[in-house]
Amino acid sequence: MILTSIIVLGALGFVFAALLALAADYFAVAVDPRVSAIIAIVPGANCGACGAGGCHDFAERVAKGEIAVSGCVVGGAEVAKKIAEIMGTAGFTVHKRVAAVHCGADNGQRWRKANYYGVKSCKNADLVASGGLMCSYGCLGYGDCFCVCAFDAIKMVNGLPQIDPEKCTACGKCVTACPRAIISLRPYDFPVRVACSSHDGPAATRKNCPVGCIACKICEKTVPDVFKVVDNLAVIDYTKTGVDCGPAIVKCPTKCILQGGKNEQK
Amino acid sequence: MELFGIFFAAFLINNILLIRFIALCSFFGVSTKIDTSVGMSLAVIFVMTISSAVSWLIFHAILVPFHLEFLRTATFILTIAALVQLEELYLKKMIPTLYRAMGIYLPLITTNCAILAVAFLAIDYRYNFVQSMVYSLGVSCGYSLAIILFAYIRERMALAPIPKWFQGYPIAFITAALMSLAFLGFTGMFGL
Repeated sequence: MILTSIIVLGALGFVFAALLALAADYFAVAVDPRVSAIIAIVPGANCGACGAGGCHDFAERVAKGEIAVSGCVVGGAEVAKKIAEIMGTAGFTVHKRVAAVHCGADNGQRWRKANYYGVKSCKNADLVASGGLMCSYGCLGYGDCFCVCAFDAIKMVNGLPQIDPEKCTACGKCVTACPRAIISLRPYDFPVRVACSSHDGPAATRKNCPVGCIACKICEKTVPDVFKVVDNLAVIDYTKTGVDCGPAIVKCPTKCILQGGKNEQK
Repeated sequence: MELFGIFFAAFLINNILLIRFIALCSFFGVSTKIDTSVGMSLAVIFVMTISSAVSWLIFHAILVPFHLEFLRTATFILTIAALVQLEELYLKKMIPTLYRAMGIYLPLITTNCAILAVAFLAIDYRYNFVQSMVYSLGVSCGYSLAIILFAYIRERMALAPIPKWFQGYPIAFITAALMSLAFLGFTGMFGL
């Protein structure tokens, strides 16, 4: 009895081991060595900001050439350089991007038509009479962007998000979190932003906000290369790098064109 | 009709999680999110059906002729572990999408007590091959039903104002107990 049990169990174990060994060989998946090398480099946050479903998927698609080597927004230039070395396309530059808030009205300048006592979240406030604000485009100030930022790059200062360009990785989570879509991504080395999102006409904007864009087109006249007023709102053409925007910033009557940079103001 | 009875007995009346209290570790472990509980359920349905079929074959083709029924614990553990490994290798090569959907749950399931329990119970009930297949399908569907329902409740509970001393596992256990009581209501259905 002991002998048969030992033999049967041993034989079963042997058969399974042999099967597994054969299967491991037969079903072996040829993994691109570049994929595992890229996985070792990327941050591994699985944030999905690159458009792929996680870091593993990103690495596979980079190896296939579907995504650019600079696709990892969280890793930034450093990671892109290393991936470029792995992929054999070294020697190109990556343009870092950071988030920019297109509203400049903090708690003091944010005029109200009603008081909102609901859940302290922008998403909820936006649903109820535009959160009690006069402006239906501007920042609501409950910090939904601040809550989703995984990199500690957003600070709420007097009810307005302040981006730290050094910490920001342009993952885009705040861009989607904002119910009013007032956050977008700008090039890191072009530290100018229009701090207003209002498409209201000049008179309406004047009535709603002390620091809104009133579409006076002064910026368009002073720095015509960069600024253009579209649909009652100044828009910056971020492809025109190296143009001095200083005159427009100084001349803007409502001071809604802001200099960004190391310590982004407001 | 008999197979129908076996299926529903395993699915609702003797629900493996809420009535038999088997596999509670995964019931509490992976039920915090609906996504993970669905992935785990799919993996359990897949592995349980195949492993109980193979265990049944090995028991009746090898252990019974040699009068080694007492060895079934060791044999089944060996079988299930090897089988899950094989399935993992197979899926990785042949169905990568399915592998990605439930890949991380497969190794977890190797040591899941529900899989072993079903292999045992199908033999204890003296089911034939088809019956044991239907039985294991019923059990795994019951597992999925219970864990997905539980995950839905836990997602709602995460937002509910629960007293501090009940937060986390205490309230989860109370909820599981209430669900178990609710499932007792199925007793006697279909004359089972």
